[in-house]
Amino acid sequence: MRIDGYAPIEEYAAIGDGRTAALVARDGAIDWLCIPDMDSSAVFAALLDARRGGSFTLAPVSEFESERRYRDGSNILETTFTTSAGRVKIVDGMTLAGTDRLAPLREVVRIVEALEGTVPLRWRIEPRLDYARRPSKLERRGDRLLAQLGGKALAISAWGLPGWREEDDAVGGELDLAPGETATFSLAAADGEPVVLPGRRDSEQRVEQTDAFWREWSGKASYDGPWRDAVLRSALMLKLLVFAPTGAIAAAPTASLPEEIGGVRNWDYRFSWLRDSSFLLDAFASLGIEDEGHAFFWWFMHASRLTRPRLQVLYSLDGGAATDEHELDHFEGYRSSRPVRVGNAAGEQVQLDVYGAVLDAIWTHVRNHGDLGGDTGRSVAKIADYVTEHWRDTDSGIWEVRNDPTHFAQSKAMCWVALDRAIRLADAGIIPDRSEQWRASADEIRRFIDERCWDDERHSYVRATDLRELDAGLLTLPIMDFDGGPRLALTVDAVRRELADGPLVHRYRGDDGVEGGEGAFLTCSFWLADALARTGRVPEAIELMDELAGFANDVGLYAEELDPETGAFLGNFPQGLVHLALVNAAVSIAAAERAR
Amino acid sequence: MSLVGALAGGFVGTVVLTTGLRLAQELGLTRMDIPLLLGTIFSQDRSRAKLIGYALHFFNGLIFSLLYAGVFFAVGQAGWLFGAVLGLVHAAFAGGALVNVLLPALHPHMGTPWSDARESPILEPAGFMLRNYGRYTALATTVAHLAYGAIVGGFAAGL
Repeated sequence: MRIDGYAPIEEYAAIGDGRTAALVARDGAIDWLCIPDMDSSAVFAALLDARRGGSFTLAPVSEFESERRYRDGSNILETTFTTSAGRVKIVDGMTLAGTDRLAPLREVVRIVEALEGTVPLRWRIEPRLDYARRPSKLERRGDRLLAQLGGKALAISAWGLPGWREEDDAVGGELDLAPGETATFSLAAADGEPVVLPGRRDSEQRVEQTDAFWREWSGKASYDGPWRDAVLRSALMLKLLVFAPTGAIAAAPTASLPEEIGGVRNWDYRFSWLRDSSFLLDAFASLGIEDEGHAFFWWFMHASRLTRPRLQVLYSLDGGAATDEHELDHFEGYRSSRPVRVGNAAGEQVQLDVYGAVLDAIWTHVRNHGDLGGDTGRSVAKIADYVTEHWRDTDSGIWEVRNDPTHFAQSKAMCWVALDRAIRLADAGIIPDRSEQWRASADEIRRFIDERCWDDERHSYVRATDLRELDAGLLTLPIMDFDGGPRLALTVDAVRRELADGPLVHRYRGDDGVEGGEGAFLTCSFWLADALARTGRVPEAIELMDELAGFANDVGLYAEELDPETGAFLGNFPQGLVHLALVNAAVSIAAAERAR
Repeated sequence: MSLVGALAGGFVGTVVLTTGLRLAQELGLTRMDIPLLLGTIFSQDRSRAKLIGYALHFFNGLIFSLLYAGVFFAVGQAGWLFGAVLGLVHAAFAGGALVNVLLPALHPHMGTPWSDARESPILEPAGFMLRNYGRYTALATTVAHLAYGAIVGGFAAGL
C-alpha cells in the first residue's frame, strides 16, 4: 500500500545488469532507474519524488494481490498479480548483451504473460531524464517513442498491445490478454550514441539468455552450509551491485532513501567504499567465487593509486576520487525526506579504519591468489608506514559522523589490524619487511586502546576516548581478529546489552552531528551473530541468525536499516554491506559449528 | 599546393574531427557516433565494431582529403579558408545524404523509413541533418567538418 504515492521500501526488488539497476515495486511500478550507469542521473526517480520523478507503472486496473519471486539462482524477477478476473505474470529483467548480436547499451524488458482469465492492465511510462531537471519530451521514431536529453536517450518499444495514448512527456494505455497471450515492453537506453532499437524476439531471447547467465554464475557458489538460500540470494544481490566495467561494488544502487522518514539522513550510496573490501573478499572467497573478489581487489589498488599511501574512504564506481555532494532541491524526497543528496561528502573525511580493511583484504587476496608483484608490494608497505605515522590522528570513524573528529576505538583497532596484516605479509615475503617498526606501533596502539578506550564500569571497550558509550562498530574487533583477549567477548555482551532491541542492533545512542534519529542498523545485527560465533556462543549466534533471516523482504533483500517498532525498511536499498555481513556471519557460524 | 600535404592534413584533420565529436558526445551535445555507425556494418560486437569503425573513419578521412586535393588542383588554389568552405559543403552532404540516406542503404542494422526491427535490432536512424541524434548534432558536425576542411586546405597549401 502506497503512502502519498510512495511504496514502502521493503516492497521493492532490484533488477540489474552489472552496470545499472532498477527498483521494481510490488505493485508493478519501476520507480528507480539510472542510465547508463548506477551512479548516473535517473530517468525514473519516483522513489524520490512520486509526482515529478518519473516511473513505469504496470498493474491490474482492478484490486489485486501480488506475489513475487526471483527465478531460482537468477536476478530475473517474476511478479504475479491475482484479481477476481484471473492471474497475470510480469517478468522483469535488465538484459545482458552478448557479443554475437547488436543490442541496446542498457535495456529493461518487461514481459506480461496472461496465466488465467483476462486481467485488464493499465500501464504508463513517464521518462524523466537527468533527475527531471528539464522536461523529457517524447518523439516518435516509426512505431517507437524516444525521449532524449543531452546525450542520453530512452527508446520505448512495445509489442502485443492494442494501442497506446501519447502525451507530450508520457505514454500509456490498457491491455487485456487472453490466457497464453503475451505482451512485451523494452526500454532501450543510449548514452552518446544512437539507440539500438531491438526486435521483440531479440528482447525476449535476451531475457532468457540473461537468466541462463545468472543461473550459471550462481551455480559456481560452493556454499552448502546453513541459511543457504539467504546466502545465495545475497551473493546474487552482491553480484548485481558489482560495476562490471571496473569491478567496483556499489554500497547500494539508490540515493537518499531516508534513515528516518521525513528526516535529513539521506545519503547517496552509489559509490564504492574501501571499507567493504575485506568483507567482500572474505565473502566471495568463502563462496568459492574468485573472479569478482579478484576484480575488486585490483579495482581498489588502481583507484587508490593517486592518493596512496593515503586512502580515500570511497571512490566513484569508475575509480575516480571526486565524490562531490549536492542537493536536488526540486525533489520532495522519499515521503518528504529532504534534502535529496547526490554525491557523498564522506569522501573527504579521514576514516582510519579503512587502512585495516584494505590491509586485511590484501592479506585475504594473497592467501587466495599468491604474490602481489614487487611494485604493489612496496606500495602496500608504504600504506603500513603511513598507519604508523597517522594512527594518533583523530578521524570521523566507521560511521562517518559529521561532528568533530575524535579518537574512535574501532578506528584505532583497525589501525592495529592494518599493521598486523602488514607483518603477516612481510613474514610471508610478500612485501618489504619493516615489521619491527610496525610491531612497535601495533603494540603502542593496543596499549592505547586498552588504557584509553576500555571502561571498567561497563566491562567494555567504548566508542572513543572522549565518548564513554557503546558502539556497534566494536563488533568488528573479533571479526577482524583484533587481539583483545577476553575483553572482546565482554564488549560483545555490552553492545548487545546496551544497543540491541532483541535481534536488532543500533549503531550507537549518542550524537553524530546530524539531526534526527535512525532505525536499527542491520549490518550490526549480522556482525553481532558473527561476533557471537567467534567468541564461542554458537547457539546464541544461530538463534540470532534465524531471527534475522525473518527480516528479509519477500524476495530475500535487506535495506540498510529497519524500524524496530514497525519492521519497515529504512535507508538505501538493497544494501551491499548487510548482505556481506549476512554471508560472512553464516560462514563464521558454520565454521564455528564444525569446530565444536 | 601538395598532395602529400593534403594527405597529412587529412590525417590531422580526422584526428581533430574525431576528437571534437567525441568531446561533443561527452558534453551531451550529440549522440552521433561515427565509429559505431561504420563498425556495425561489419560486426555486431560493440568492441570490435568500434575498432573497425575508427580504422574506417581514419581511412575515410584520408580518402576525403584526396577528394579535397582534387578540387584544390582543379581550381588552382588551396588554403585554410577555401578548405573550410569545402568542409561546410562536406558537413551538409554528410548530414543531408551520406549518413542520412546512403549509410542506411548499405548498413545491415540501420533503420530506414522502409525497414523496422521486427526481426533484427536496428540502429536508430539519423534523420535529416542527423537531428535524431540530438539538437546540437548538426552544429557539432558542421564545426568539426569546418575544422577538418580548414586543416586539409591549410596543409595542402603550406607544404
